[in-house]
Amino acid sequence: MKKLLLLVLLCSLVISGCSVSSSKEMKTNTKSSYPQTLVDQLGREVTIEKEPKRIVSGYYISTSLLIALDLKDETVGIESKPEKRPIYSMAAPEFLELPNVGTMKEFNIEATLALEPDLVLLPIKLKDSIDVLEELGITVLAINPESDELLHETIALVAKATNRIELGDNLLNKIKTFNEKLKTLLSDVDQKSVYLGGNSELLSTAGSKMYQNTLITLANGKNVASDLSDAYWANISYEQLLAWNPDVILIASDAVYSKEDLLNDTNLQDIKAVKNKAIASIPGNLEAWDSPVPSSVLGSLWIASELYPEKYSKEEFGQDVRDFYSTFYQIEASVNE
Amino acid sequence: MNKHINKFIICFAVLLGILSIVSLSIGRYQIKFEDIPGILAGTASSMKINVFINLRLPRTMIVILSGFALSYVGSVLQTVFKNPLAAPEIIGVSSGASVGAAFAIVILSGGFYITMLSAFIGAVLALFLSLFIASKSNQKSLASFVLSGIVVNALAQATIMFLKMIADPERQLASIEFWMMGGFNTITSSKIVLVVPITVISLVLLMLFRRQVEIMALKDEEAKTLGVDIRVIRPIVFLLCSIVVASIVSVSGLISFIGLIGPHLSRLILKHNSSRVWMVSGLIGSCLLLLSDMVARSIGTSEIPYLCFFCYK
Repeated sequence: MKKLLLLVLLCSLVISGCSVSSSKEMKTNTKSSYPQTLVDQLGREVTIEKEPKRIVSGYYISTSLLIALDLKDETVGIESKPEKRPIYSMAAPEFLELPNVGTMKEFNIEATLALEPDLVLLPIKLKDSIDVLEELGITVLAINPESDELLHETIALVAKATNRIELGDNLLNKIKTFNEKLKTLLSDVDQKSVYLGGNSELLSTAGSKMYQNTLITLANGKNVASDLSDAYWANISYEQLLAWNPDVILIASDAVYSKEDLLNDTNLQDIKAVKNKAIASIPGNLEAWDSPVPSSVLGSLWIASELYPEKYSKEEFGQDVRDFYSTFYQIEASVNE
Repeated sequence: MNKHINKFIICFAVLLGILSIVSLSIGRYQIKFEDIPGILAGTASSMKINVFINLRLPRTMIVILSGFALSYVGSVLQTVFKNPLAAPEIIGVSSGASVGAAFAIVILSGGFYITMLSAFIGAVLALFLSLFIASKSNQKSLASFVLSGIVVNALAQATIMFLKMIADPERQLASIEFWMMGGFNTITSSKIVLVVPITVISLVLLMLFRRQVEIMALKDEEAKTLGVDIRVIRPIVFLLCSIVVASIVSVSGLISFIGLIGPHLSRLILKHNSSRVWMVSGLIGSCLLLLSDMVARSIGTSEIPYLCFFCYK
C-alpha cells in the first residue's frame, strides 16, 4: 500500500513537473518579437515590422476575432454591413461607426489605403485585392477559417501577428475544453440522427464537407445527410427526408421558414422529429455559430443541449455561453431561443 | 456637315477632359485636384503618389479607353452589319471571352493574369470559329455571319453552363459571376501595360480602314464597284474589332452594353452616320463609362458592378 502511495506521489510529481516546465515554455513565448515573418493561409510569407496599431479587417470572422483578442482599439476599419452582426453592437459598438472597406464580393482598395493600416486581414477569396495591396506595400495576412482546424490556425496566426499570443492560447484552450467536455458528457448516449434545414428552404441541407456537419459531429449527433459530398447546400426531396426519418430537425439561423411551417407541413407528419416536435432553430442573436467564427464551438454546445438535454442541460449551456462571452468579449450574453 | 460634327467632337473631348480630372480626384483615398501637381512633381507623400500612379490613373485611363473603344467598335459593327442592333456579342466575342475566363477560374484556378489571357484567347477563338462557320456557308452573305455568331454564342453558353456546374459554388462560381458583371476595381498599372498598346494599335488600324467600312454600308455589289472587296475586308474588320473587344473585356469583364448605346446616342444627336460620327460615338462612350465608374466607386462603401448600370447587355 505504501509503495503504491509512493508511486502515485511520484507520478503526480512527474506530471506536475512536466506541466510546470511546459507552462514556463509557454510564458517565454507569449510575446511576439518584431520584425517577425509569418506564413499566412495562402502560403505567402508576410513580414510584420512592428506591433500593428492600425488594423483593417475585411471579413466578419476576423473582425469578431479582433474583439476576442482585445484589439478593439487597434481596429480602424471593418467590412461593410456591420449592423448585420449583433455581436458588434454588444461588444464593440464603436465598430458600427468605423469606416467600411467593402464586402467579400466587392472590396474597396482605396478605402483600405485611406485608413493607412499597418495590418490588413482578408479572406483568401480576395486574392486579387491582396495582390494589389501587396504591390502597394501594405502588410496583408490572408486568412481562411473554413474548417475547425483552419479556424484554430487563423486564431493562432492573428494572435501571433498582433502580439496577443496569450489571449489566442486562452481562446484555443477554451474551445478545446468545451469540445473535451462534450466528448466526456456524451460518450455513452444513444446517438440521435439530425437533419439540418438550410437557410433558403427546408429541403436544402449540409453534407459532410460543410462546417455545419463538423458541429453536429462534435455534438455527437449523426448528420443524416453526411453521405452527401456537396461543398455547398445540397437540395434533396421530401422522399429522401422521409427515408432518413431524423430524430431531430435543426433549422439554420438565417432560415426564411420556421418551426411552425414544418409542423403544419402535411408531407412531414410521419417524421419522428415532427411527431415529437423535436425541431429547433439555431439561435443567431449573438453570432452565426453555424459559420466558423471564434465562438462556433458554442454551436456544438447548443446542438448537444438540444439533442441530449438530460446530459447537458439548457441551464448549463446558458452558463457556458455567459462564461465564454464574458471572458473574451466582456459582455453579459444570453441566448434567445 | 463635317464642321458641325467637328464641333461636337471638340465639345465631347472637352467634356471628357473635365470628367477625367474629376475622376482622378474622387475616391475613398483623399487625393484632391490640387494635390495632382505635387504628385506629378514627386513632392507629395509616397502613399499618395502610389495610389495615384498605381490605382487612380490606370483606372481612369482604362475606363476612357474602354468606353471609347467599345463604342467605336459598336458603331463600326452596326455599319458593317447594316443593323442598329449589332454589338460585339453578335460575332460571339463576348461569350468567347466569358468561356475563357470561366475556364481559367474553374480549370486552371488562375489569378488575374491567367484569367485575362484566357479570356482574350477565348474571344479570339470564338471569332475564328464564327468566321470558319460563316465561310462554310454557300452564299457568304451577312446573314451567315449573324447565324454563325448565334451558333458560337449558343456553344459558348453551353460551355459556361458546364463550367459553372463543375465549379466550386463557394469560390469559383462567385468568381465567374463577378467576372461577368464587369468592373475595374482591381486594375493597377502593371495590369494594363499589355492591354493598352494592343487596343490602341488595333483601334488605329480600324480607323485607317474607315473609308472601306463606310463603303461596306452599301450593298455588296455596289461596294465592289467602288473597289472594296467585301470578302477580304470584312474578315479583317471583324478581326480588328474582336481584338479590341477581347483585350478590353479581358481586363474589365462584360461591359459591352456601352458598345450598343454609344453609337445610338451619337446618331440620335447628329442624325447622321459617318466615320466622324463614330468618333463622337467613341467619346460619348468614354464619358458615359467614366461617369458610371465614378458613381460605382463613390456611391457606396463597396464597389458596384457595372452591369448594375449597363444591365441590358
